[in-house]
Amino acid sequence: MDIFLQQTVNALALGGTYALLALGLAVVFSIMGLINFAHGELMTIAGYVLMYCGIAGLSFVIAVPLALLASVVAAVLMERIAFRPVRNGSGATMLVTSFAVAMILQVLFQNLISTRSQPVLLPAMLSDSVHIMGMVIGVNKLAAIIATVVMLVFLDWFMKHQKTGIAMRAAAEDFAVARLMGIRANTVIAGAFALSGLLAGVAAVLWVSQRASVDPLMGFMPVLKAFIAAILGGLGSLRGAVAGGFLLGFIEIYLSAFLPPEMQEFREPIGLGIVVLVLLFRPNGLIPSATLKAEKV
Amino acid sequence: MTTSPARHLIASLLGIIALSLIATLVATTLGPASERILTVFFISLIAVVGMGLYSGNSGILSFGHLSFMGIGAYVSGLLTLPAQMKMATLPKLPDWLAGTETGFLTAVLIAVLVTSVVALVVGLALNRLEGSAATIATLGLLIITHGVIIGWRDVTRGSQSFFGVPRETTLWAAAIFCILALITARLYRDSVSGLRLRAGRENAIAASAVGVNIRKERLIAWVLSAAIMALSGALIGHFLGAFSPKKFYFADTFLLLAMLIVGGMSTVTGAITGAVTITLVTEVLRRFEGGFNLAGLEMPAVFGTTQIGIGLIILFAMFRKPEGLAGLKELEERFFPAHKLGAAAQGAGDTVKNVDPAPLEGKNLTMRFGGLVAVKDVSITVSSGEILGLIGPNGSGKTTLLNMLSGVLAPSEGTVLRGNTDLTNAQPYEVANHGIARTFQNIRLFDTLTVYQNVLIAALSTNKGERATQRCEVAIRAMGIGPHAGSDANTLSYGDQRRVEIARALACEPSLLFLDEPAAGMNREETDDLMATLQKLTRELGLGVLIVDHDLKLINQLCDRIIVLNEGAEIAQGDPAEIRKNPAVIEAYLGHS
Repeated sequence: MDIFLQQTVNALALGGTYALLALGLAVVFSIMGLINFAHGELMTIAGYVLMYCGIAGLSFVIAVPLALLASVVAAVLMERIAFRPVRNGSGATMLVTSFAVAMILQVLFQNLISTRSQPVLLPAMLSDSVHIMGMVIGVNKLAAIIATVVMLVFLDWFMKHQKTGIAMRAAAEDFAVARLMGIRANTVIAGAFALSGLLAGVAAVLWVSQRASVDPLMGFMPVLKAFIAAILGGLGSLRGAVAGGFLLGFIEIYLSAFLPPEMQEFREPIGLGIVVLVLLFRPNGLIPSATLKAEKV
Repeated sequence: MTTSPARHLIASLLGIIALSLIATLVATTLGPASERILTVFFISLIAVVGMGLYSGNSGILSFGHLSFMGIGAYVSGLLTLPAQMKMATLPKLPDWLAGTETGFLTAVLIAVLVTSVVALVVGLALNRLEGSAATIATLGLLIITHGVIIGWRDVTRGSQSFFGVPRETTLWAAAIFCILALITARLYRDSVSGLRLRAGRENAIAASAVGVNIRKERLIAWVLSAAIMALSGALIGHFLGAFSPKKFYFADTFLLLAMLIVGGMSTVTGAITGAVTITLVTEVLRRFEGGFNLAGLEMPAVFGTTQIGIGLIILFAMFRKPEGLAGLKELEERFFPAHKLGAAAQGAGDTVKNVDPAPLEGKNLTMRFGGLVAVKDVSITVSSGEILGLIGPNGSGKTTLLNMLSGVLAPSEGTVLRGNTDLTNAQPYEVANHGIARTFQNIRLFDTLTVYQNVLIAALSTNKGERATQRCEVAIRAMGIGPHAGSDANTLSYGDQRRVEIARALACEPSLLFLDEPAAGMNREETDDLMATLQKLTRELGLGVLIVDHDLKLINQLCDRIIVLNEGAEIAQGDPAEIRKNPAVIEAYLGHS
């Protein structure tokens, strides 16, 4: 039972990170139909900012906002430079563009920074642990869970009560009509990218604080998982992205904790197999996007 | 059976064979280094057309195809690996496999078959997903396959190198298999299945409405493309002699996808163009990778020059030519004219073979979208030989009713019957095969296909495709769009596009025809013209027509009977004269006086 609770905390921490990443992908996808492969590189950028801040001796309290700022700026620039020219292209065109961007950024990191994994200085406090209800929980895990909850609450408030947030929801529903109502396309899209950059930045901080290192391909795997979380939850649906992220986190952590040792090598295929199984019964995801059925015939 | 003019296919087959042979001969004279490059090129090209066969025709980008390449390589490698080698490197192999040692060709064949079976199973699951979700699912497939290959150590040596595979892939073998793969892909593109799949890519709803079962065609293309990938995998395995799971993962996926996308994924011409371009660029950039001397300037070694180069080419292609360098047409389609209409066939006009006398009955149909009730308890009967008008203010549920009758929407309540057949939850392609064809309010043509192909797909996909060519040409003539037969559908004027829609519906040889605002955007003469055609069709062929339109003059002159909807419910029914006097109708249209 103890192990189970302990693993549940781990699953919440990992699932929360996936959820934030998947949300960032979903915010952009719901508005412009772009599956952003380069989302992981936003994470990597935030990771490197943390690393350089550590080297420069800046406190973590300053480093984190800087890292978030960097990934927000990078996301907005990415949209402006790479995605605006293909904004009206097909889904495949945009997806391919984003993978080219991801590839170029990865090579740049490898050349300009290092091909190897670099250590990141973290405050000692993060590697402590606390005792709650008989469980030993790492501060970094706890921080991850709290940060996820704070971000989700913030996002909910932003989407419901902020003008830009409401505009984004309108644009996700029907971009053409939203524009006719006087919503500026550039503002909404830039806003969506900024938001997805922020989410990627938070995810990067959480990711790095569990591992204390950063490498040029750091963002690749978690974002791949976030893609899968996004379709598991329902592509384009924000609530779905959160649900899918958490479910994927739970699947992965429980498998690694409870799968017999001789099966551990097949952990990844089995985990994805479970995802496929869920999708066979719910092809549009756990919480399908509302716009799916809205196509007028 | 193929659906394009024979001269296109002959030209392309000759082109493929000639190019491959010339390249091979040139390489053999240049020496072993060029031979190696060309062999790898051929093997990559096989993989690229394999990916293109699925992604290009279906419009669903796949990241998972290297899984099949990997399966092909491992299966064929396990078969040709000498028995002694197996004992040494794979001691835990099951006995039946440990003792087997086959020749190269047998191994390739078995690898292709095994992979096809795997692809069939995967495809059945994948087929439930649409568009971008399907694309991401293929990413999942790649990760799963990679995981299984690494985990299954007893058979694959895990992440270690799988070595000792005999190097049987010669340049000539690669060339011949490449020719075969290119021809397969080219023929598939213009096969009945390929044409249907492309129609589904252009407009899934319309394709379904003319009888295309898109999922079935997708599955065919998926399995066929997996078989080609397996061939490519078996060849690369027997070319390298040693490989590891990494060979069939993201790096090579991106490289091959880059070739496909830069060239243009919807044609074989594009696959070849892309493979040539990327191979040339990689070969050139690789020489700069270690640093070079430019006019006395020492350039430093830049790691990953090739990747950056490929990335920039992709960006450039996407910004400038999102359809790829080769565009949407095969080379030969640009040089030789497309379909022309032959001389008028005998008995032109007999569009309908047997009229199914059973009327279509919708009983107590209700459609809810969340809290909104779009159609409330409406019953409707459409019989052959009768023109039935459906009118009502905007948002009164006319199109929703039409969608329920044609299978696009499944009603929340109520039944749809044709004679004794229950069509309530039938898919649109099944409805189309029960003699019911329709057009759409917002024009839904297969934009990048020719008018001829647009109509031909409908003829091929209904009534078992009998007399398809004749039906197609009769329908085109009936609507007077013969002169445009060879043009792409999206280049036509609005009125002509509407006519193509009707011709496409007629080519299904329906006994009942649903027209959703056929006269929208037409001027008076065009509308009168349309009216005459429709009257002729019903009178001569006994066709039943259900027509939705806002042009009350058209409806009044054309219809035998009119049903009026308002706010989802039927408010009146009767002949035009009755309807004009009905107070409820007047109120719905003009409001209280």
